[in-house]
Parts: sequence; C-alpha cells; structure tokens
Amino acid sequence: MQINQLQKPSKPSRPWIAGRLSDESFITLFMVGVLIVVFGIASIAVPNFYKIQNIVNLVTNNWFIIILGIGVTFLLITGNFDMSVGGVIALTGVLAVYFCQAANVSQNVLANGLGLPYGVAVALALLCAMGVGAINAFFIARLKVPSIIVTLGTMMLARGAAQVITQGAQRNTSLPDSFGVLGSLSIPGTSIRLAVVVMIVLIFIAFIFEKKTVFGRRIYLIGSNPVAARLSGINVTKYLTALYLLSALLAGITGILLASEYKAGVSSRATGYEFDALVVALLGGVSITGGFGSVLGMFLGAIILSVVTSSATGLLLSPDWQFTLKGIVTFIAILAQRFALDKRKS
Amino acid sequence: MTTVKADSLRQKMDRSTALRATIKQVYIYVVLAVIVIIFSVVKLDQVDLFERGHFLSPDSIINLLRTAVPILTLSGAFTLLMISGYIDLSVGSAMSLSAVVFAWMVLNGFSFFPAIALTLLLGIAMGVLNGALVTKLRITPVIATLVTLSLFKGMALLIVPDGLSAIKSGEKVMPPWINDYARKEVLFGLPWAFWVAVLLVGLLIVVQRKTSLGKYAAAIGGNRLAAELSGIDAVTVGWVIYVIVGFFAALAGVARASYMSLGDPLSGDGMETACIIAVLLGGTAFAGGEGSVAKTMVGAIIIMCVTTGLMTVIPAYWQVMAMGSVLLIAVVMNHLLGQDKAKV
Repeated sequence: MQINQLQKPSKPSRPWIAGRLSDESFITLFMVGVLIVVFGIASIAVPNFYKIQNIVNLVTNNWFIIILGIGVTFLLITGNFDMSVGGVIALTGVLAVYFCQAANVSQNVLANGLGLPYGVAVALALLCAMGVGAINAFFIARLKVPSIIVTLGTMMLARGAAQVITQGAQRNTSLPDSFGVLGSLSIPGTSIRLAVVVMIVLIFIAFIFEKKTVFGRRIYLIGSNPVAARLSGINVTKYLTALYLLSALLAGITGILLASEYKAGVSSRATGYEFDALVVALLGGVSITGGFGSVLGMFLGAIILSVVTSSATGLLLSPDWQFTLKGIVTFIAILAQRFALDKRKS
Repeated sequence: MTTVKADSLRQKMDRSTALRATIKQVYIYVVLAVIVIIFSVVKLDQVDLFERGHFLSPDSIINLLRTAVPILTLSGAFTLLMISGYIDLSVGSAMSLSAVVFAWMVLNGFSFFPAIALTLLLGIAMGVLNGALVTKLRITPVIATLVTLSLFKGMALLIVPDGLSAIKSGEKVMPPWINDYARKEVLFGLPWAFWVAVLLVGLLIVVQRKTSLGKYAAAIGGNRLAAELSGIDAVTVGWVIYVIVGFFAALAGVARASYMSLGDPLSGDGMETACIIAVLLGGTAFAGGEGSVAKTMVGAIIIMCVTTGLMTVIPAYWQVMAMGSVLLIAVVMNHLLGQDKAKV
C-alpha cells in the first residue's frame, strides 16, 4: 500500500507506461485525465459551462485556496498538517484593519484602531501571522507533538484572537482609502485581479522551488523517512520550522488580500478553508504517508474541486450539498489514486 | 567514592522520577480545584450576566453537569481511541447528524425508544464506516475522518436546510416529552441522560482497565508492530473502538437534541477539539499507549467549568481563544510530565 517514489527497474511484463514515468508524473497525468472527464460531464450537464469566461473563473475564483494549498502541500509532503491557516487568515485580516483604523475617532470601540500607515499595518499583521507559524513550529518541530493537535490549538488561538479584537463581529469603519487598493486592483482591460496574479506568481515560484532547489528536494526525503533524513545530516527541525513559517506567511498574505477586497476585518472569515486546502492537496495526489505529491498536482486538484462545486451550483443543487460533495469527491479521489498506483506497481 | 556519587545520583533521579509521577497523578485534580476556587471567589453579581448565583450552588452544579452530558460521554470513548493511537475528527459531525436524525424521528411521530434505538444504530454505522476507512483501507485517520466529517455534516445540513436550526414543519409540532430524557429530574436533580452517561462511562472505565480490549488498545498505541507480532488483531480492535466512538457520539447527539428539543446540524461543531482537550488534560499520551478514561472525565469537567465559568465573567467572544490556550497548556503539561515519547 505504501506509495514508493523510487522507480523500480522496469520488467518487460509491465505496461509500457510504467517504466518511463515517475509515479508523480503518473498521478499528475491521471488527475489531468480526471479533470478532463469531470469537465466534459459538467459541460454536457450544465449549459454554457465550456465557455472561456467560465474556465477563467474556475481558476481565478479559487485563488485563496490555491495560495493556501502551496504551504499545506509542502507540509503534507513532510508528513505534517497545518489546520491553522483559516484562523491565520481571519487574524491577519482583522489585525491589518485594526492597525489601519484611525485612532480616537469615535465612541464605538470597534471604530477605533491604532492609526498606522497601511504599509506598516500590513507588515505587522504578517509578522503576527508568522508568530502563529512560529508557535506551530515550536510545538511540532521542537517538542515533537503531533501536528494535528497543535495546529487545531493554534487555529482556535488565532481565530479566538480575531474574535476578541472584533468582539465577535467585524471591523470595517474609519479605514483609509489606501486599504482597499490592493484588493480591487486589476490588470487593465481584464477582470483578473492582483490576487490572481499573486497566486500565479506564487505557484510558479513554488514549482521551481519544489523541483530545482536542494530545500525542495529535501522536503521529500523528510517526508518519506524522517529518521533517515536526520541521520543523513538534514536538520529536520530547521526545515519544518521554515515550512510552518512559510505556510503562515502565505495564509497571512491571503488574509491581507481578502481584508482589502472586502475593506473589512471579519472574525469569521475563512472558516473551513483549512479543510479546503487539505482537500485540494489530497485531490492532487499528495500523500501524507510517503513524501509524495506536487504543487502542480495540488493546482489541478483545486481546479477539479472548483469544477465539481461550480457545476453543482450550476445544476441548482442547494449549497448544503457542498459539504457532502466535497467529502465524496475527496474519498473517491483517494481511493482512485491508491488503486491506480497499486495497479501500476503490480 | 565514585560508587557513592553514582548511588546518590541514582537516588536523586529516582526521587525526581517519583516526584514527576506524583505530579502526573494529582495535577489534574489540583487544576480542577484551582479553577473551581477561582470561579467561586470571583463575584458574579458584579457582572450581573445571570442571576443564578454562586458557582458552587446546587443549581449551577446541576446545570453544569446537565450540559456536560455530551462531552462526558463522547470524550470517554475518545480516550480509548487516542490510547490506541487513532483519532476521530468526525465525532462532532456524527453527533450533529445523530441529533438531527433523532429530532426528525421524534417530530415524525416515533416514540422515544424506537427513535433512540435507531439513532444508536446510525451511530454504530458511522463508527463502522470510520473504522473501515482507517483500519481496513489504511487511510490516515486524520484524513479519513475529515472526509467523514464533511460527509456527516453535509447529511445533517441536507436534512435540516441551512439557516434553520430547528426542525419545524407546518402542522407538525415537537412533542414536549422530548425534553424528559435530558432535563427531567430523576435522581439528585439530575436527568436520565446524565445517569445513562455515568453508567456507560463507568462501563468504559472497566473496559479500559480490566478487559483485554483495553489492554490491546494500549498495546497497539504503544507499539503497533509489536502488538501485531504478538498476535493481537489490530484491525479488529481498532475497528471495534471506532464503533464504540460512533455509538457514544450518537448517544451524545440524542442527549443534545433532547436538551435543546430540536436537532441543530451545527450543535456538534467543535466537539472534536473539546474531546481532544479533555483527553490531553487527562494525561493521555499524544501518540497513544497510555491513558485513563477516568481522568478524561476530570478533564471534561474542567472544560465545562472553564466555559460556563468564563461566560459569567467575561464576554462570550473570549471563549474560542480560552479553549485554544487550554489546549496548548495541556500539550505543554503533557510534555513537561514526560508523556510524549518522541518518535522522530
């Protein structure tokens, strides 16, 4: 059952495809096939689904999940979870608003902030996000506590802090005009916003980082065998710390962009995003057991999920179906990937 | 000289291990006592949020125990699961779904016993599903139960449309007896739900301490490979424990639905973290292998004290943060007391 990343020498009896592709490319191609099939079905069932504008929307509407997915994917490859990203998004958004709001302007506590310039506010908010990442890293990399327990705790800590700052609601008044610029900026002549550009750039960087850097390759080694990785001189603690900081930073950037888009710091923002980020990574073939997966696969997974959910909306299914659908799709994807990989090996 | 030195060193070490063991035994009770004292001393009338009076008055204790029924039942079974090194993030959703299904059946004219029996069967089915995914198909527990989390929650939301927390339909009315199970006093002012929970958790404590299932669970959690090599059927044991957890989740759901006299599809949200906190407070090792159902009960009571106590002192929006802090403090305590065995 273990997914093995190393290629075995090819035997003549095996199918031709086995010897030439790595398991990773195989799964990625497999998911491309799934995407094409799902998209085909959706195009038949839902009117106007195949139009270019809709295809663009499928990618651009999910930019936040894809940005989160990068950090979550790298951590999953090392065998760790990060469930705190949703909380970090809420916390950074709320903090950015709080830092930016003018000081002493109103009787209402929620309208008063610290009155810092936008740049400083963003920098401080991102620092706080990385603080949450540092807490994660300390417990998981140093104290060796299971990541799921720690990140559930920091998720509550971050979201709880956001709720305390906003008194359980939101902050959206007395904000400078500069606050909404980042979120509403778009490429002239198109509807593609800055956030989408950031997403594409980050995916590109992550792809190169994963394939071409020593750090990126070592992530796989840590995931497939932490003990061997440590014995061969890799400082696992350092790498995990860096990855948790990265994941929190990416969540922070998402939080800043979302807060700017809505011009509000909402404490319930991004509820359940940690689950979505995990789902897209799993859909893209990332495996927690064997140091296996890729950012490209996660990207494909995000688009598959987007096709499924938006075609469900197109079929006029009630939004209540979303939860069940996500569960079923993930379940089928995990089983299908297992099956495909097992078939290939035998 | 050197032997004397070594001896005294060994004595010192023995003493420090003994001290650590003693602290490990009693610290949870100390924490509970401190929390109770703090909340009893803080003057509630200053906040005048509710006039129920003193934290230690019989009324508020009964109220606390009544509302604690779901977490008491659920975290007991959860301990067994964590001792065997597994985890179940779907317990909250399973509880919500059970609550919704129970309320739906009561609304549609089922009487109490058929409704509760069918709900418990549903809980067993959910446990069978979780157990199959984790132990048979060998999907990582976190991922498998996250999938079932969204599945159960989705089903609960499909039965009760979004935005509606109660089940109401035109002419049908919820019969008033739905409250009896979780609110009507039967003994010492406490309802049936509480005594059923006490009985079943007592049974769980016996199972954990005295039966082979409890021993096998600890063996699997401690060293799965060794347990399998010594002839323990790890798949079956794990599966049975998942079924127990599903059963208890359904029981918790029934208690919640009866207490609120409606089926709320979100009523179990956060129950999984509450369970994890209770279990960790009770000193169960993160990675499995050791733990105690009885101590988890103390942990669950601490959680209830903190949440209800906090509500009287500070605004409700502090609660999530407080719970997160309690979780991280429990993690640190477990680390300091040497519960975690570093595996990497």
